[in-house]
Amino acid sequence: MQLETKRAGAAAQSAETLHPNWKREDHLIAVLAKNAREHGSEVAMRERDHGIWQEYDWKTYHDTVVAFAAGLDARGIGADDIVTVIGDNRPNLYFAMLGAICLKAIPSPAYPDTPPEELLGQLKREAVRVAVAEDQEQVDKLLDLKEDYAGLELIIYDDSRGLAGKEPEGVVAFDAIVAEGKARIDTEPDLAADLISRASIHDTAILLHSSGTTGVPKGIPLKHGHILSGVRNAAAAGYFRNGEVHMAYLPIAWVGDFIFSVGAALELRFTVNIPEGQETALHDLREIAPTLYFSSPRAWSSMLTRIQVGVAESTRFKRWLYERFMPFAVELERARLAGHKPSLGERLRHRVGDILIYGPIRDQLGLARVERPYTAGEAIGEDIFLFFRALGLNLRQFYGQTENCALAVAQAPDDISLSTVGRAFPGVEVKIDENGEILVRGDNVFDGYHDNPQATAEALRDGWLHTGDAGYLDGNGEIVVLGRVSEVVHTKDGTRYIPTYVENRLKFSQFVKDVCVVGKDRPHLAAIVCIDIDAVGQWAQENGVAYTSYADLSQNKAVYDLIEGLVAKLNAQLPEGIAIRRFVDLHKEFDPDDGEVTRTRKLKRDVIDDRYGAIIDALYSRDDEIEFEARITYETGQTGVLKRRLAIRDVADGKA
Amino acid sequence: MFYRLAGVHHTRYETARALWPIPADRKQVIVAGLIALVAPFFLSTLYLGSYMLPWLIWSSAALSLTLLMGMAGQLHFGFASVMAIGAYTSIHLARLGIPFELALIGAGAMSAVIGTVFGAAALRVKGLYLVIATLAMQYLVDWVIINVPAISGGAQATLRTPEVSFLLFPIESLTSRYYLALGWAALLAVFLMNVKRTSFGRALTAIRDKDFAAAVIGVDPFRYKLMAFFTSSFMGGVTGAMLAFCFYRAVTPEQFSFNVSIQLVAMVLVGGLGSVIGGFLGAAFVLLIPIVLTNFVAGLAASGWLAISSNLLAHVPLMIYGALIIGFLLLEPLGLAKIYDNTRKYFLVWPFRHSRS
Repeated sequence: MQLETKRAGAAAQSAETLHPNWKREDHLIAVLAKNAREHGSEVAMRERDHGIWQEYDWKTYHDTVVAFAAGLDARGIGADDIVTVIGDNRPNLYFAMLGAICLKAIPSPAYPDTPPEELLGQLKREAVRVAVAEDQEQVDKLLDLKEDYAGLELIIYDDSRGLAGKEPEGVVAFDAIVAEGKARIDTEPDLAADLISRASIHDTAILLHSSGTTGVPKGIPLKHGHILSGVRNAAAAGYFRNGEVHMAYLPIAWVGDFIFSVGAALELRFTVNIPEGQETALHDLREIAPTLYFSSPRAWSSMLTRIQVGVAESTRFKRWLYERFMPFAVELERARLAGHKPSLGERLRHRVGDILIYGPIRDQLGLARVERPYTAGEAIGEDIFLFFRALGLNLRQFYGQTENCALAVAQAPDDISLSTVGRAFPGVEVKIDENGEILVRGDNVFDGYHDNPQATAEALRDGWLHTGDAGYLDGNGEIVVLGRVSEVVHTKDGTRYIPTYVENRLKFSQFVKDVCVVGKDRPHLAAIVCIDIDAVGQWAQENGVAYTSYADLSQNKAVYDLIEGLVAKLNAQLPEGIAIRRFVDLHKEFDPDDGEVTRTRKLKRDVIDDRYGAIIDALYSRDDEIEFEARITYETGQTGVLKRRLAIRDVADGKA
Repeated sequence: MFYRLAGVHHTRYETARALWPIPADRKQVIVAGLIALVAPFFLSTLYLGSYMLPWLIWSSAALSLTLLMGMAGQLHFGFASVMAIGAYTSIHLARLGIPFELALIGAGAMSAVIGTVFGAAALRVKGLYLVIATLAMQYLVDWVIINVPAISGGAQATLRTPEVSFLLFPIESLTSRYYLALGWAALLAVFLMNVKRTSFGRALTAIRDKDFAAAVIGVDPFRYKLMAFFTSSFMGGVTGAMLAFCFYRAVTPEQFSFNVSIQLVAMVLVGGLGSVIGGFLGAAFVLLIPIVLTNFVAGLAASGWLAISSNLLAHVPLMIYGALIIGFLLLEPLGLAKIYDNTRKYFLVWPFRHSRS
């Protein structure tokens, strides 16, 4: 017993020596309490429920968090207990996470569509005792897992539909816990003050997870101090302002959501808006019209597709106007980035375009009030980037990892370049080591993986985070990211290339949803392409190409011609010696349920190599078609097989 | 293009159900209201007295009728007689020294009672037969007014309206009469827009669509048809009194003859059945287009572009007018209100063709 306290004390000691500049009582809960005290009646959160927005002010926010903490405390949850949180964005899930943080417990969010076996792995690895689930679906999933993992003592649910009144053993409503906590606070006068002062800046505020592209996901604990310093650095550089209106629609298990919707939202008093569901997110976005908007390149790309499809279907006059103004704006933006000053005539035309086209489109998208739109996660297509900048949105790129709170590098408002991701935030140092790997150091960089000293030793050396990304500094000191260091591969003749780099450039086309480039130890590159059904479907409609299903459309000869054109164009842009010689259109999309991509849609190459080995072999044979059976996992967990004859196409030499 | 919807969100269902939840619509209403309010200060007496004022009163009449024809689906080809009852009742009441405010209510009540009695025919007959029944009302009322000297003041007589005041304001000057008519038209417009959102309005719509189907879902056709006739006739009666006191200022039976009824039906049809903005547009069309056309054709004839006899000249505007009505009903059977609605939606989804998501 004594020994244990001693060890715990030593651990706390070392945590504090790690960050001597952090003040103990400067933590997220203290910030929340301050907001409740000074801005109690201001709106902190809105959630759309049955068509209207339910508002929560800071006082309600704070009181709910504290009451939940009191309720959880009564059930014996305390320091270093890990609380799994699973579900879509809901105010109560955020309150639950903060309630756990109050008790020095560690919330560990999971993606709502995590398959049971992955979730089981996470529960076991982290020895979870309590889980907070959004609705009946997640509760059922957890109850099933309880048979294999008895350690799960308590499941707390938010949405009472299908659960209220008939909860199984060990399942309790969020509201019930809050009510118990409220009763405790009413009877114990000092409890509330005690609960908000328990946490420390050196506590782990959240346990996030790496995407698991290679093997088991690693737990990434971020402390209050990491999050706060990351947010403060970003605020100091003007990347966030006080009182932003923010849309919380990205998965809570993704680092950005915790940083934006909780970290920055508390520190800078954002109004966090939560859509009714994933399906209504775009509609709800327009109702809120946020001032800060964060989206992945993929989402920006699908937004662009939506606009292009919409205009293509529009009336002749509107389309004519669009064609007068939109390409003009894109070219103007391209010239502006290259340093050209717009002439008076160009500025005038841009003004007119803003009234007729750009403004209405921004309004339709719900981005009318966005002053700080951002993209991050992977490279964004030049066309997409230019389009939204031409639309009058000051779109900028972020670069960061979960390990550094995703707040490391960003483009400055007035200094945008197409190839770089910008400069390090103030308070963050970035350098390139001799292997060409990007290293980051700063208070926002985490202190090591959860229970994984080996991985920690690999990633953190002398305080520098080894990001695993290959890159270099350009002439202006801006950072250029090439791809993963570990992903650099060589073809048979020794040509060096990064598959993601090639893939992303092909994915810049709206017609390509996913692509996997292969070529390791092979004579040349080849690609497995998944078409985008929306964009290609629209294209097929316009060009009179008949089709019945995704599989049918993907094997259409005209579609092959279309994709071949794209590949040939890409080949012409790629450096000497790198070119995709052959490709196949896959008859299904890569799907996280099938394990081919992660939840954030990053390719799992080993799975693809393994599952589509026959196709890859065929790509390097002389065959021009292959019969293939693809395995499909349905959402129920059942599997099926999709059998199809796939064509293989040689790409005409783009450089000819 | 003009409609900006980003950022319009509701925290209560009440605001989501507001009459104009979209800011651009609200602005249009405010601008139209302001123009109507300051019209007496910048319009000449001629335009105010001969265009704006009658337009507002006939719009009120069209709105009264559209409740019955558009919302409840009951045809009425004798609505001028309903207005006549209101006009004569109000004059006689005012002459008896009853305050004008009460006289207006009395006019409405009298029209409502008599209108409902004839409307009772609608309980048994539909469509063309109801048209005939309401025509009978038109002729009966006309006959009674002309042949009962106590009402009309004697054969060929003209009854002058006495001097009255409304809520202490004397209704004498053109401006005061204009504001009274404006107030009544605005009141009716707001009333009708709200009726559509009540259970009464929904019951009327159910009856319009199929009365026995409405009965099946628990809407009593007997009650609601009579209520529709009562409400509509009440509004028509007050409008008749407005017409007498604010515009004609002296009434004769011919002012409420059969062709006035037909014009009212035309206003409602051209404007768009059951639509409030349609009431205003329809009245403007039926009232103003003949004047514009007459001036236009006369202008053409005077400048020598149109060499026809003066006899034919008087008929050409009527022919064009008839053609216009036929054309409208062929091209847009839902009337001017639908054209307005289409235009609004064209801009609402700008620059796309339809709203997405």
